[in-house]
Amino acid sequence: MTTATETTSAAATAAAQNGRRAALVRRERRRRISRAAWNLVGLAVFAVMVFPVFWMASTALKPDSEINSFTPTWFSTSPTLDHFRDAINRPYFWDAVKNSLIIVGVTVVLSIVLAFLAAVALAKYRFTGRSLFVVAMIGILMLPQVGLVIPLYVVLAKYHLTSDDPKRALTAVIITYMTFLLPFAVWTLRGFLLGIPKELEEAAMVDGSSRLGAFVRILLPLVAPGLVATSVFVVITAWNEYIFANVLLTNQSNHTLTVWLSYFTGSSRNTDWGGLMAASTLTAIPVVIFFLLVQRRIAFGLTAGAVKG
Amino acid sequence: MGVQTPWEMRMRVRHFAAAALGAALAVAAVGATGASGGSAANTLTVWLQNDAQNGWPDLVASVNSQFEKSHPGWNVDVQYQTWPTHLQKFDATLAGGNAADVVEMGNSEMTKYMAAGAFQDLTANKSDFDNSNNWLAGLAASARYAGKLYGVPYIAGSRVVTYRTDLFKSAGISKLPTSLAAYTAAAKKLAAKNNSEGFSPVYIAGTDWYVAMAFVYDYGGKIAITRKGKWIGTLDKPAALAGLAAFKKFFDVASRASKTTIETRPWPYEPYAQGKVASMIGSSWFSCCVGDKYKSVTKQFVMPSHTNGQPMPGFAGGSELAVPIGADKAAAVDWIAAFTSTESEKVLQAKGNVPNATNLLGNSVNERAARKTWFVPTAKNWVNVENGNILRTMLARILTGKMTIKDAAATASDNIAFTLNQP
Amino acid sequence: MPSSQVPDGTEVVVEVTPSWPRRRSPLTRGRALQGALPYLLILPVLVVIGAVLGYPLYKLVTLSFQRYGLFELIQRQGEWIGLDNFSSVLHDGVFWHTLERTIVFTIVNVGLTMVLGTLIALLLVRVSTWVRVLLTSGLVLVWSMPVVVAVQIWFWMSNFQNGILNHVLTQLHVGDFFQHDWYATTFSKLAMVTLLIVWGAIPFVTITVYAGLAQVPRELVDAAEIDGAGPLRVFRDVTFPILKPIFLILTSLSIIWDFGVFAQPYLLISPSNVDASNYLMGVYVYIEGYAQTNFGRGAAISLLMVVMVAAMSVFYVRRMVRMKDVQ
Repeated sequence: MTTATETTSAAATAAAQNGRRAALVRRERRRRISRAAWNLVGLAVFAVMVFPVFWMASTALKPDSEINSFTPTWFSTSPTLDHFRDAINRPYFWDAVKNSLIIVGVTVVLSIVLAFLAAVALAKYRFTGRSLFVVAMIGILMLPQVGLVIPLYVVLAKYHLTSDDPKRALTAVIITYMTFLLPFAVWTLRGFLLGIPKELEEAAMVDGSSRLGAFVRILLPLVAPGLVATSVFVVITAWNEYIFANVLLTNQSNHTLTVWLSYFTGSSRNTDWGGLMAASTLTAIPVVIFFLLVQRRIAFGLTAGAVKG
Repeated sequence: MGVQTPWEMRMRVRHFAAAALGAALAVAAVGATGASGGSAANTLTVWLQNDAQNGWPDLVASVNSQFEKSHPGWNVDVQYQTWPTHLQKFDATLAGGNAADVVEMGNSEMTKYMAAGAFQDLTANKSDFDNSNNWLAGLAASARYAGKLYGVPYIAGSRVVTYRTDLFKSAGISKLPTSLAAYTAAAKKLAAKNNSEGFSPVYIAGTDWYVAMAFVYDYGGKIAITRKGKWIGTLDKPAALAGLAAFKKFFDVASRASKTTIETRPWPYEPYAQGKVASMIGSSWFSCCVGDKYKSVTKQFVMPSHTNGQPMPGFAGGSELAVPIGADKAAAVDWIAAFTSTESEKVLQAKGNVPNATNLLGNSVNERAARKTWFVPTAKNWVNVENGNILRTMLARILTGKMTIKDAAATASDNIAFTLNQP
Repeated sequence: MPSSQVPDGTEVVVEVTPSWPRRRSPLTRGRALQGALPYLLILPVLVVIGAVLGYPLYKLVTLSFQRYGLFELIQRQGEWIGLDNFSSVLHDGVFWHTLERTIVFTIVNVGLTMVLGTLIALLLVRVSTWVRVLLTSGLVLVWSMPVVVAVQIWFWMSNFQNGILNHVLTQLHVGDFFQHDWYATTFSKLAMVTLLIVWGAIPFVTITVYAGLAQVPRELVDAAEIDGAGPLRVFRDVTFPILKPIFLILTSLSIIWDFGVFAQPYLLISPSNVDASNYLMGVYVYIEGYAQTNFGRGAAISLLMVVMVAAMSVFYVRRMVRMKDVQ
């Protein structure tokens, strides 16, 4: 390994290097072991969190006799798609899918645009009444919504939006959702705007355009992750909303998926558990797809907004 | 997502903004058209519970087409509701001044709305409805307030015992019980023969007050009575206490259900379908859901009284059809008359419902059971007694032994009187 | 700063002009427009919210001073009774018991959600990539579950006859849970509701905190570790201060949501089983105000709830209102 002519100091250095390498190897090994341990913990957490979802899907695939069996079975021995078929063939299923998609789509687009404008005002300008506006936004988040259902119905009836006509009925739900989602969106987007370095904004102004012009042309792209993150929250909340949709949409062909789903349990007679679980699985799928599509961007987005908030 | 230049991102944002603007304009346009006039004036809006949608949609369709034929220019819009939320929606439409023309109400929900003036007086139209002189007493009474008629009985349910013939046979019960004592003896035999875990000879959910109050009324007790315009709780009276004691005794022998659970969690037919129940007391339609395995060995009999040979009174549950204020009364009455005609009631009867009049009653088990019934006090605040779970709390206390029957009943009785006498 | 890293790896090159004035002179052209601009920007939001919520809010306040039941609803005319609704609520023992129960419930739920959500986020940093992707996807599944659906599943899993929860706990010899009624006592009812809410709320917290953790500079953590700081001290001295704004926001939002929660307790405990012994504020206002069609009283309770939740999150509101963060 070393020749006799080498100095002791060099040997010492080598030994030290070896020692360090060994320490590194040890540390690496320790790190790998600890990573494996953390992975196990992670898998356990995954199992616990996802179990209810698994149980829903597994029940949906079981024939009635197994659902009713006294001793629960983990997986079906003879899985069937019957419940899914039944759920899809129930009246108004496709109407409900269409209505949910329209409502969520329009709500998210309009909310984000309007909230963005207001967020610009809050993040970039001082003006009289600004703090009043902020307090009002937070105040709306605090309102017990159940107390507002009936007066809200009355005001929408005055606008002729509580009829059977699908356009009007869906409009009623959309503006209701916007009302309750705008405050959250304004506040989140304001956080993202504050996160943009001042230098970028100032550079944008070099060409002499107004502050707003600078925003739209240069800075809007930078806040895109924030827009995505906020829209995810809006989408999930609007997709899952039930109380307002149930009261505002009287006609069954205008129902959203969550309202449609409530008809499984709303009869005075028996509940079709298999059908309900299959329908629930179907209801969850579009949101999951949407989320998987955007989740890579939300990780960044939420951070940028929240830290500065 | 790959690397993008700011310009590309800007383009995407621009598309996004354009799409958003388009959507905004679309909604604005919708809002603008919304101001110009309502829908066709001649629409009869009917709110039925979704039991009709699941059970007899054909009847609804044929009544509608019949109505539309005899009322040219009209069309019927049936909107199915669900029991848990229909009242809240109804309240909202009342406040908005656009309630439906016909609404289906549970008979225990009627009183409060009649008292508040939510419905139109149908007293003068009574003769328009088939069999209106023979309406089931329980249903007719709950549609009447201050001497006026506000609802038309539609269907009734009745409460029977649904049982497994094979288990009764193997336990050596050759004759169906005709008294509570005989039923208790049968339950003991069934328990001795079937000792698997959680097996109930007679499944009753602990806080199923519909079953428990049947015992109270069977022993001559009552929940509450009025005297000089004031409600008095009567569950602490000797007859009611005897009924409660009999219920506890019977439950202890017969049911392995949770003493604290309600009758829909689980539905009694769920353990029945699991093979864990020999018989269950409840709605006659329970036979729908006993599971394929037991369908052929399932039959029903009338719940026996403690007096030999008599039936125990069952809860007179049912639905009424009412006409909210602001509705087109003449059209609504015509539609209701068609929907509750003898012909229609026969169809409903064939679907396992109890028809709305005594002259239509056949001799099936559920129709025999419907001849002797009890009903909750017709007080406008009764709903609050149900919402407050006063009876359920009492039953849980009695069955778990947390309180004596006497104390629990006295507490409940005071609570009921207090609630009913609230302004 | 010559360049800055933007979200998805785009390199944006920016020429810095240090001499550019921080703010334009107030006398430049279009001053009036500049002054009106912020108002124009918030106008659409104000219009939508005002058009939809203006009348309901006005109604909420006026109803709270009126006797307004079903009769008045139909007549559309209430009777002015001053502060009677408020005094009857404040003199109602049920209100105070419910408030106490709800505060304890909120503390437990918010605490559990924040602690578990943060722990899972810290876990996400330590696991291999494939586990991280798997776990995040799982959290996404949970987050996207509508409340109505989640309640049904939860009840289905814990049902008295053949609930999988009872089955598993018995099989694992945790105890005999055969035919255990999870909804027998107030405590266990609310414990089930807590499990449901915390389970449903963890994904939002975890994913947000995880995103925040990605922002903590690695060098700071390494430096602290070289100084011999254990993981707990690293979290306390390095991670937590950076994440503080996130925690503040998440905690305040959770307080607002959990204090007024309605659907989960109402549906899981079941409409025919909620009563004064297990009310939370959201359920209380619904039953005493709206199910019993006592709308004036309901409005009074709603307003009291706003006051209380505002008091509980006053810290957060003050931070929000502070003007310093305008650039």
